[in-house]
Amino acid sequence: MLEQFIFVGVLLVVALFLPVVLIGLAWLLRPKRPNPRKSEIYECGLQPHGENWVQFKAQYYIFALVFLIFDVEAVFLFPWALVYNWLPLYAVLEGVLFIALLAAALVYAWQKGALEWM
Amino acid sequence: MESLSRFLAFLADAIVNIGDWIRGLLLGAGLVDPWVSLIMKAIGALVVAFFPLMVVVFLIWAYRKVAARMQGRLGPNSSGTWAGPYGILQTFADAIKMLTKEDIRPQGIDLIPYNLAPILVVFASIATWAVMPFGPRLIGSDLNIGIFYILAFSSAALVVFLMAGWSSNNKYATVGAFRSVAQLIGYEIPQLLAVLTVVMVTGSLRMQEIVGQQEIPLLFQLPVTAFIFFLASMAEVNARPFELLEAESELVCGYFIEYSGMKFGMFYLGEFMNSTAVAALFATLFLGGWRGPWVEQAPILGTVWFLLKMGLMLLLWMFIQITFPRLRIDQMLAFNWKFLVPLALANLCVIGLVNKGITEWFPGGVSTWTRAGILLMTNVGIFLATWGILAALERREQRRRETWRAAQVGEVEVSA
Amino acid sequence: MTTEVAPEPADLLTRLQERFPGAVEPAPEPYEGLIVARDRLVEVATFLRDEMGYGYLSNVVGVDYPEEVNGLPPRFEVVYHLFQPTGGPLTLHVHADRENPVVPSLVSVFPAAEFQEREAWDLLGIRFEGHPDLRRILLWEGFDGHPLRKDWHEVYYEEEKKPFSSRWPEGHPVMAESRAPLGRNLRYPPGWSPEDWRPTADAWGYRPHDEVAEQRNPAMPVDRVVLNMGPHHPSTHGVLRLLATLEGERIQKLEPILGFLHRCHEKIGERNTWLGNIPYTDRLDYVCSMTNNWPYVLAVEKLMGVEVPERAEYIRVIMGEFTRFLNHAVSVGFMCNDLGIYFTVMLYALEEREFILDLFEMTAGSRMMCNYMRFGGVAHDMTDEAVGLARELAFERLPRFVDKVDAYLTENELFRARTVGVGVLPPDQAVAYGCSGPLLRGSGVPYDIRRADPYSIYDEFDFDVITAPDGDAYSRYLVRLGEMRESLRILQQALNRLPDGPVMAGKKKATLKVPAGESYGRIEAPKGELGFYVVSDGGPNPYRYHIRAPSFINLGVMGELCRGHLIADVVIILASVDITLGEVDR
Repeated sequence: MLEQFIFVGVLLVVALFLPVVLIGLAWLLRPKRPNPRKSEIYECGLQPHGENWVQFKAQYYIFALVFLIFDVEAVFLFPWALVYNWLPLYAVLEGVLFIALLAAALVYAWQKGALEWM
Repeated sequence: MESLSRFLAFLADAIVNIGDWIRGLLLGAGLVDPWVSLIMKAIGALVVAFFPLMVVVFLIWAYRKVAARMQGRLGPNSSGTWAGPYGILQTFADAIKMLTKEDIRPQGIDLIPYNLAPILVVFASIATWAVMPFGPRLIGSDLNIGIFYILAFSSAALVVFLMAGWSSNNKYATVGAFRSVAQLIGYEIPQLLAVLTVVMVTGSLRMQEIVGQQEIPLLFQLPVTAFIFFLASMAEVNARPFELLEAESELVCGYFIEYSGMKFGMFYLGEFMNSTAVAALFATLFLGGWRGPWVEQAPILGTVWFLLKMGLMLLLWMFIQITFPRLRIDQMLAFNWKFLVPLALANLCVIGLVNKGITEWFPGGVSTWTRAGILLMTNVGIFLATWGILAALERREQRRRETWRAAQVGEVEVSA
Repeated sequence: MTTEVAPEPADLLTRLQERFPGAVEPAPEPYEGLIVARDRLVEVATFLRDEMGYGYLSNVVGVDYPEEVNGLPPRFEVVYHLFQPTGGPLTLHVHADRENPVVPSLVSVFPAAEFQEREAWDLLGIRFEGHPDLRRILLWEGFDGHPLRKDWHEVYYEEEKKPFSSRWPEGHPVMAESRAPLGRNLRYPPGWSPEDWRPTADAWGYRPHDEVAEQRNPAMPVDRVVLNMGPHHPSTHGVLRLLATLEGERIQKLEPILGFLHRCHEKIGERNTWLGNIPYTDRLDYVCSMTNNWPYVLAVEKLMGVEVPERAEYIRVIMGEFTRFLNHAVSVGFMCNDLGIYFTVMLYALEEREFILDLFEMTAGSRMMCNYMRFGGVAHDMTDEAVGLARELAFERLPRFVDKVDAYLTENELFRARTVGVGVLPPDQAVAYGCSGPLLRGSGVPYDIRRADPYSIYDEFDFDVITAPDGDAYSRYLVRLGEMRESLRILQQALNRLPDGPVMAGKKKATLKVPAGESYGRIEAPKGELGFYVVSDGGPNPYRYHIRAPSFINLGVMGELCRGHLIADVVIILASVDITLGEVDR
């Protein structure tokens, strides 16, 4: 088992290495002539007006919260799905009940209007 | 004659045999086993890491060529400047161009995430290939949590996009980054639930096991699941109907607007790599991976089947990329939360119950074909039910619109 | 638009004089229409709109008369062209003091006046009292002077009128630019240098947006962001700048900021000879140059009183309708580009456009800048070969293209999802803002100049005025699609009936005499009502040369259309309005 993870570890090192090498190669080859005009932030050819890092919109956060419900509970569903073939019918029904609870959360969020884009 | 048959036998499982030959060579050179296996793993890792890179180089060319032909153009070709037959060297020329482009560092950026993001985007998409089964004996590492590992790494893209967009100090990039939060995490749920259905039916998280279970490709057993997975994956790789993070005509370039040179190239590469990985994953989960005729005799054919299936999915991806308009953010989210997630939940429950029901109903066991047939019928049922509900909603909406329009017309008449 | 019967001009004058004694008098020869007293203008305009049915303010133009011209004293004049749903123009003249020109603003009566009054302020320095936002529109804040005044001289000023004698010192032409080195061709206000200049929020137009950005929504406190879309943006169709205040992705306020392509076309036009202006008009809406020539020659022909031969009229209609077809095809293609189908639909449209451009090349000698129409006809006859190609296109090829677009886009779920209900323009608002073309007809107003006020020989053809009821981007698409079909219908009739004969009235002349007077020629260009207002003092050059550009005036409604929509909708709305920056900025 551990041996298999060694391969994954080696691959991760290689995967990290590859883009670093490419960017490093570009760093060696590229011209370096910075100037202040060039390094302006792009906003369609004009200087940006006002702060960019602002409190943008909370709605994205609400979607992230709804996602969290599902993501955490999906983690519990994975073991259930894995042993599904050995489960008796009532255990499967219990799983379905659990999913129904998830669906209830979705319906609640839907009713609350959290899924409407404002 | 004998040498020919030996050669053919070698060819039948060429990649594995080459591996064995190298291992023999290393052992012959007097190295001891842990080191040999480590070197073998390093070689394997290099091969696995370069595989998507090579596929992408070809894919970019193919994408341009297919797009050009669909739009009545020629695309890259060797007239004018020499780019090889059919312009196949165009991608290499572009790579060289990107290597020699100046790296413009904009003012006021957050340096660490800004520089880390282009590295991580390629890192995450290469990492998913570790557990992808290329052939019967050809897999980087057949982890017992294979599919879980892939899902984990594919959702890393979200963090990368957020890093790139937020650190760029650009309003367009910020909008792109926020959209990535809403879109990528949203579509992860149906993707996850579709994978759960597959895991439930095949009974394993191990990739080779999932392939092994598909005597009949799961596409023909669970078409609705395949459909959900496909749509969610299109959104996860930021493909055209859900291409909201880049949205060239609105956000110019989205989250990687401030990148130039090779760093831009990394995002470009990452995008194509992710598409390739998703195509490979779909081929593995629903099209039977390397399974196909004569794989028993010549395991190398398994790799060919796998590549063909992956190519088919990539072709589908290209067609959609070239011909579909983009959705708006509210439509994209509504489609996910109000259609795809409920459908995926219902699908999971129904398939779970029916599949268990089959086992309970036939205590003596049941043939694969019967089970597949019943599952297919169930899928048709789910499809018809969904269709009915959607049609009813559409009719209601139509009526509402008509009454509204009638009211408008009435108003105009009154004012006239 | 109310449908009231047009009163006779004499009857109208008596009714106006009864209602406003002493405020209205007929304009003396050679001018048309009425002279309205400055202080009663708003009342007269309201009366005309509400009780006489003149609901459509088409054109507002300022004219500078520093000296006595055509028998009237020195003055500034503002000319308004009002229209009924059918029937010719009512021209109102308002005179203003030459030293301190102030005219009451008509924005409260006709919102269409907003952009045009800003333009008159910018280029002529006429101050409109009561205008809500009287800023420069085509030039930048800080520009020195008002260029369309007759006493404003450009950097290379040599003489008032072309041909300049200095360009021909020894009998062959010399370019003025070769005498002045590049980089010294700008004139700055005294004490101003571009190096020291730091633009204020005012100069960039940020102030109104900052005010909007400060008001926060108490229910969901979110910082508002001021975002520039353009001038360098992939889908503003040129160098248009849209300045938007966003809350999240939703537009709170959006205004177009123009002038990046401004070249003071009208000043150039006043320097040019009458004939020399025709190639310049090609550069206005560079997608459809044929229809740009047309209203200009129409306006001058009205002044000259020339009759156009029948064959020339037919050729003009054929060229005009092909131009409409190619404009609408490319417009639908670009809309799909903005929707995210990059270049697939667009390249199919461009393929058809290439064939139409081939036809133009065969006939006019040039593909894009055709320079084809002349006063009293067209420059060259259509050869049999060109007629053959035109027949093939109009009967075979182009109908197939329209059917293909219809089949793939009209019922396309994603296309509908993105366009239905986006950028809704109610009909009354469309009329009030002076919108024209598919934008107006997409709101359900059946107003097409070819039908309402037929010019050329359009009364001889059988065609329908296409409208769509909803006023959204999808409706405008439907109108364009229908108009492509109607264009083909007109083309088929015209090609079947194309008569023989001359294509030019009289002989070709390099210089021509245009009698003194004023004239407004307008046609239904693909993008809307394209009008040319010309004033002649009897000389070899136009005294005043003004363009009523449909793209420019249609943009006036952009802010209204976009309010409350998402960023993604802005590009769709812009594409459905269909502008060309060459025409907007002039």
